[in-house]
Amino acid sequence: MYILKNAWISIKRNKGRNILIGIIILIIASACTITLAIKNTATYLINSYKSAYDKEVTISFDRTNMMKGFDPSQAEGRENAKEKFDNIASYTVNDIESFANSKYIESYYYTYSIGLNGNNIEKAEIESNNMPNGFGRGKENNMSNTDFTLTGYSSKDAMSEFINGTYTMSEITDNAWDVAFDGNYAFINEELASYNNLNLNDKIILQSEDGNTYEFEIIGIFKENEEETEAPLSMFSNSANKIITNASAITNITSNNENIKGTLYPTFIIDSYDSVEKLQEEFYKKGLDENYILQTNEELALSGVSSIKNISSFATTFLTLTLIIGGTVLLVINMINIRERKYEIGVLRTIGVSKLKLTMQFVSELVIVSLVALILGAGIGAISSKGISNSLLENEINSSNERTEEIGKNFGGENMKGGMLDRGGERGEMHGKGMPIIEAYDSIDAVVDIKVLLELLGIGLSLVLISSIASMISIQRFSPLTILKERS
Amino acid sequence: MTNIEKNNKKNIILSIKNASYRYSDAEEDDYALKDVSFDFESGKIYAIKGRSGTGKTTLLSLISGLERCTEGEIIFDGKSLKDMNLDKYRNSDIGIVFQSYNLLPFMTASENIILSMDVSGLKIKNKKEKAIELMEKVGLKETYKDRKVLRLSGGEQQRVAIARSLSYNPKMIIADEPTGNLDKQTENEILEIFKKLAHEENKCVIIVTHSQNVCDAVDVTYDLKKVKEEKDK
Repeated sequence: MYILKNAWISIKRNKGRNILIGIIILIIASACTITLAIKNTATYLINSYKSAYDKEVTISFDRTNMMKGFDPSQAEGRENAKEKFDNIASYTVNDIESFANSKYIESYYYTYSIGLNGNNIEKAEIESNNMPNGFGRGKENNMSNTDFTLTGYSSKDAMSEFINGTYTMSEITDNAWDVAFDGNYAFINEELASYNNLNLNDKIILQSEDGNTYEFEIIGIFKENEEETEAPLSMFSNSANKIITNASAITNITSNNENIKGTLYPTFIIDSYDSVEKLQEEFYKKGLDENYILQTNEELALSGVSSIKNISSFATTFLTLTLIIGGTVLLVINMINIRERKYEIGVLRTIGVSKLKLTMQFVSELVIVSLVALILGAGIGAISSKGISNSLLENEINSSNERTEEIGKNFGGENMKGGMLDRGGERGEMHGKGMPIIEAYDSIDAVVDIKVLLELLGIGLSLVLISSIASMISIQRFSPLTILKERS
Repeated sequence: MTNIEKNNKKNIILSIKNASYRYSDAEEDDYALKDVSFDFESGKIYAIKGRSGTGKTTLLSLISGLERCTEGEIIFDGKSLKDMNLDKYRNSDIGIVFQSYNLLPFMTASENIILSMDVSGLKIKNKKEKAIELMEKVGLKETYKDRKVLRLSGGEQQRVAIARSLSYNPKMIIADEPTGNLDKQTENEILEIFKKLAHEENKCVIIVTHSQNVCDAVDVTYDLKKVKEEKDK
């Protein structure tokens, strides 16, 4: 107890020096708080981006593996590669359901595409070589030989072209989204609609090569926003002959007609990117051909935060420099402090104060001053960092708001309610994929939370202890008799 | 009968047995103090005298536990200092008084005494009252209690230092030239205090000095020079 009492007496006695130490620690604490708050904000943004993108896994060809030993200069090599490609087992809707039955998977959706010809409509085409838009993501089944590509989505989440803005709904029936995923309903490109003079609620009939016909009611008309087409001379967009429906409609068609082969493109939402390797092994065990591999969207999810990462990295460097400079200054002040107080140390050692207790007294003095300065510094830093963090967030907030509105428009002005995409509410959750909902900090404790305060306390106390090393070592080395002799 | 038992019978509180001290960087035969043996009894006042360089201060630092003997041993109250916690020894068993007082100048007289009580772990309710009592015992008025020690005269500071050394009631007082900076009258007053402590309170008082006046006033005088010269012979 007398150690603390002595420490307090010494603090009061050496006001000038302790105020100087306090100011230095206050500056360090303010800088640390601002830096930690920036890092906190950056982490929040990065996490928001990560969560804005579902952790998606898709199935792709393992091209590196497939191309092993492939020599394109030799006809035999090309034949072997083709044979190998043809022999890769494709997967079915049942397989996807089986794959999705995994502890690593939270949800899944898929697109299912087939090729059909028109019966009461004609393909939008001027150039003879203009093929309908292929998907290029899975193993396709001669859809380029048919007039239309009929793509079925298992849910709204699967409609990535509307989410990313490639397609925008230009006309839609009032109850479109109530019926879109159950029954023979379709969304068609406005170019196709114009070409065939089609309107909402009209019926289109498609037919397979073996003559079976399938009727769909038009519940929406969309347009493609991409300017470039695969065939630059074509007057139609890539999706002109793409007809959108739901996955169960396609499943009905393929299950009743073995001659129609579709292309499945599943997307699995996983709990963590760390689970991918285990999940891939599980898929192989469940029958996935080993020429397929699983790919994630992690890189895409983090592509929007590179500048934020740079700011975070700069903040870390700034923090490190502040600590080094501040620590050095504190160390020097402590060394001077010890030299000035040698006599006191000598007297205390002579009357029986142990080296340990003496060290504790000196460290306590610094800890008491530091705690006061840390509290003040944290307060100043917190007030300053609210503005700094919000200015960092400003662009992201604007982009987030714009993006949310844009996705709503892409789906025909619908406000996204009722679907998986409507996840508004708490901070960090999203309304639409690819852009998190980011809100300005409205209170200081949102910027400087308990984690920041604990980090600050840890850094501050570590700094104090490190800068006390000089006094600790000196106290161990001082001989009280020598000190008192020098004084005499 | 063992040496310790013999010592107990003679009321010996401190026994120095062939103590030598050599600095760690000194040559092999260069001793600051060599082969010194003295016994000190409770209730007596001793003087250790000797000229400069005879090892008085070294002996004092060994007795007060500020250094350890490089050879031989010192036994206090039946225990070798080698086996004792010297910090505890200094803050409980012995009191040390220095020529230059060695008080903390930023504290008052009573605060210096109370600090010493705190360090020794003394558990009494009113330490300030006890400090005033000790100050009065060494001839200081109560009014001095809140005075910063730098505002006291040399004699007064030395009285505070003695009061501090008595604050935890040690069995032995070790004083290094306690009257070296004082006038004759004050020297006599301080010596009277030491005599009372030895003869009335049964403490062992050891004074390291080169003052003949002090040597004349004590019960036993050990001449360190003679010891050293005899050893040299």
